[in-house]
Order: sequence, then C-alpha cells, then structure tokens
Amino acid sequence: MAPQLQIQDLVKVYPSGTRAVDGVSLDIQRGEFVVLIGLSGSGKSSLLRCINRLVEPTSGRVVFDGADVTRASGPELRRLRRRIGMIFQSFNLVRRTSVLSNTLSGRLGYRSTWRTIASRPSHDDIAAAFENLGRVGIADKAYARADALSGGQQQRVGIARALMQHPDMMLADEPVASLDPATSHSVMKYLEEINKKDGITVICSLHFLSLARRYGTRVIALKGGKVAFDGKPEEIDERRFKEIYGEDAVEVEIGPERSIPQPMSATDAGLKALADDIDTHI
Amino acid sequence: MAEYFTARGLPVPRELERNPLTDWRRLSVIGGAILVFYIGLRIVNPDLSRANPEYAARVILQLFKWDTSILTPQNEFETFWDTAEGLMVATIFLGIVATGFSIVVALPLSFLGARNIMAGHPVTAAIYVVVRLIFTIVRSIDVLIVVIICGVLIGIGTAAGVVGLAFHNIGVLGKLYSEAIEGIDPGPLEAITATGANRFQVIWTAVIPQIVNPYISFTIYRLDANVRLAPILGYVGGGGIGILLFQSIQLLNYGAAGLIIFMIVVTVAAMDFISSQIRRRLV
Repeated sequence: MAPQLQIQDLVKVYPSGTRAVDGVSLDIQRGEFVVLIGLSGSGKSSLLRCINRLVEPTSGRVVFDGADVTRASGPELRRLRRRIGMIFQSFNLVRRTSVLSNTLSGRLGYRSTWRTIASRPSHDDIAAAFENLGRVGIADKAYARADALSGGQQQRVGIARALMQHPDMMLADEPVASLDPATSHSVMKYLEEINKKDGITVICSLHFLSLARRYGTRVIALKGGKVAFDGKPEEIDERRFKEIYGEDAVEVEIGPERSIPQPMSATDAGLKALADDIDTHI
Repeated sequence: MAEYFTARGLPVPRELERNPLTDWRRLSVIGGAILVFYIGLRIVNPDLSRANPEYAARVILQLFKWDTSILTPQNEFETFWDTAEGLMVATIFLGIVATGFSIVVALPLSFLGARNIMAGHPVTAAIYVVVRLIFTIVRSIDVLIVVIICGVLIGIGTAAGVVGLAFHNIGVLGKLYSEAIEGIDPGPLEAITATGANRFQVIWTAVIPQIVNPYISFTIYRLDANVRLAPILGYVGGGGIGILLFQSIQLLNYGAAGLIIFMIVVTVAAMDFISSQIRRRLV
C-alpha cells in the first residue's frame, strides 16, 4: 500500500540562514499515530508546517495521497489543505468570536468567498459543528466567547474545528505544551480517539517522552533538522534518549492520567484538583 | 563601596560612580536645553511693546457681553443656517462628513498598508511600502495648509473644508488602521489558512473580528479631533462657524465673537465627553 504521506529530501532554510529542516525523508502510512520529538528548534514545527505549506519548503517534495503538495497551486493547494486538519500550541482560535463560529470556520475550505460573506452557515454545517463539539465534550459552550474558555477547552475547540474539515490527517503542533498534565492527557485522548475510531492519521509534536510513549504508534525524533530516530516508542532507551536530547538531558515524567489513581503529595493533589476544576467548570 | 568591586576584579556599577547631582552628563543635557531655549528667545524676539493692558481688559469684558442677535435670522434673506447655532451644527456635520469620506478611503487602503497582510510576495510588499509612504506624506501636510490649497483648487467654502479635512485624515486613519492590523494575533490567520480557506476568507474570518474594536476606537478618536478642528477651518477658507468668528473679530464685534467661542467650547467639551464614554466602553 502506498504511504499516505511521503516526504522526500525536505529542506527548509529561513531567510536568516537557519536550516530548520535539513533533508528529511519519511513515509507515513494511513492510520499511524506519529509523535515528533526533539529539542526546541529541532525543526518539528517547520516540518509540520511544510506538510500543509503554511511554511514554504525550500526544496524537496511532500506527496499527500498521491498529490504533490509542494507543486500544488492556489485552489489545488486549498483542496489539499482542507483534508489536513491542524491544531496548535496556542490554540489559534479567533478569541473574540463564539466557540460555534470558530468551529464553523473549519468548513471555510468548502465554501465560496461569496457565501462566506453573504450567507449564514447551512443547517448541515451547524449540525456538524454541534456534533463535533459534542465529541470533544463542550457542546454546552457553543455560544461562549472563545477566550472565556480554559486552555484545555480551547484546544478541544481547535480539534472540533479541524474535524469540521473531514480530514484524512491531523497535524498537531505541540498541542499540549501550554496545558497542565491532567488537561494534556484529556486533549491527547481526543486525538487518540479520532485516530482509532475515525482512522485519521495523526502527526503530533510533543515535548514529553512519556506522552510520546503513551500515545504514539511511531516516534520520530528530529535533531538539527535531521531525523535522529524513527521507530517504535518502546525502542527509545537511555542511550537513544541522550542521542536525541544531548548528554546532559534527564527524562522528565509528565503526571499520570487522571483515571489511574496514584499516590500524590499534598501539593500535587491540590494542583490536580485545581486543574480539574478549571477544566470542568470554567 | 567601590572597593568591594575593585578588590574582586568586578566592574564598578555606574550607580556607585556617579553622584546624580554633579554628573556632568545630566548637567550638560539640562544646560543644553536652557541654551537652546535662550537662543530661540533671542531669535523669536517676542515684542510686547504694543500690548495695551487697558484695551485688552476692555475687549475681555466685551467678550462676555454676548451679542445674541447672531442667534436669529437678521433679515428676510437669512435662514436658520445663517445663524450662529445653524453654522455650529453645520460645522459639526462638516467634521462628521469629512471623517466619513476619509474612512471610506482609508479602510480598504489600510489592508494594503499592513505589513503582515502584504508580506510574502515582492509585488505586494512593494504595494505596502508605497501605501505607507502615501499615508506618511499625506499625514505630514498640516490640515490648515491642505484646506488653504483646497480653497485655491476648488474654491473657498465648505467643500474646501470637507475635502481638506478628509484628505489629511486619510493619512492619519490609514496609518492607525494599518497598525491595528499589524498588531493582531497571527495565530488565527495560520489556523484559518490551514483549513483550506482562501486569502479573502482568512481576512474575513481571522483578521476582521480582531480589528473591529480598534477601528471603532480610532475612528471615534479622529471624529472627535475633526469636530474640534472644524470651527477653525473657516479662518482659512474652509467654511463653517469659523467664518462668522473671523468676521465678528474683523468688525470688532467682540460680543458676537465671545458667544461663538463659548458655543465652540461647549461643543468640544460635549464631543470630548461622548467620545471618551464610547471609547471606554470599547476597551
């Protein structure tokens, strides 16, 4: 079976001279949950953004489902983009508008410019928006302003917005880096669910190896814009870890999932209760 | 105290070395400023020898003896619009209309003058530079000068006032609007682009919601400024109540002038209050 996504000799050099991505070649199969790891500045974000050309690659090719993304122009590129959902570290919602209209904006790739301005969203789109918000558990927040939601909830709106595209692939650029551990797991679980239930391929960059091990079916490590490791999560041992993160690095565990009861210190328990509270009540 | 640092081979902090009262850098800045002021005074040479305190006192008194005849039509040819209050209303609307025209031009241009919208392609980047240059040039010509020139080009009267005021404000509003666009959070643009939306849809969905409030705020700020400015335009051929003020002073009718000045003060104060109320509610 041909891979869903082929990346060939991808290079991104920024005008400042930084080689963010330096000759990356990857084949990603349909249904994989790929976790990208690596230090800050190792090229994870640039690689992800080269896939849907939010960042223009300097050279190399990206082929999505047989279509050359790097050669696609105008309408063709936009048709490819709408099949690739994306969520972001800073959620990137339009903060002043409602959760519902943020979610509906996921349908823009399917609408004409004229309809964007002149007509109200269709019944089908609104029904789909509520369905997707329901899937991530925040249908009751549909009419709230996006910036009134907690970080975890905003990221879930981001997922709902991406699901509106009916994507075949989901790119996630450090989706939990600005969230606390408990909320991180809840967001990662929604990504896991759309990966397993809908068969949407996920490519997700993460900072914590523990999250990568828990959710990834495949881990790709970047170092200086090159692939430093590509394999199963369990294959990353102490030696490989030091190769990826440098000699001085020590692995930090992100907190356990909520469903697994673990003895916690008083402050941890307090923080977790606070995090739960913020996530469920605001 | 300085020995603590020198003994350890550390640089001595500036704060320890300088006495703020005798520091020559500060003293020379203050001395320089005084020197410039003194030289300026010698060049300008304000001549108060022709001032007549007795006459001045009399004029000030007359300014408060309001001539209310300007509040009613004086003959069968005059209408409400020839009275002081009619001219005041017309002057306020002169400022509003001029602001309206400048919004219509500045609003679309502001997108062309925003770096974050136009970057990415050499042609659009060149348009950005040209548009911002136009804004700067237009803005740098003072309103009164623009109105004087308009008076020559299209004739003295309200038309010159409206066109001149609008022209200047295209530069001011264009710059303010463009900077509002440049100040938006780029995250939503990226996210909306990633959904497969085209450039226009991205602007419509991700940019416009972010700039509505700053735009309204800047517009009210300029509307306020323009209504304040409008009464003076009559002095340079721009129409409005300024003409009546100018004529009253030329005719030594200080009672009328005083009443007009009072009406302008009330208008400006009301405008100030209204605009600050609206702007505060927006932030």
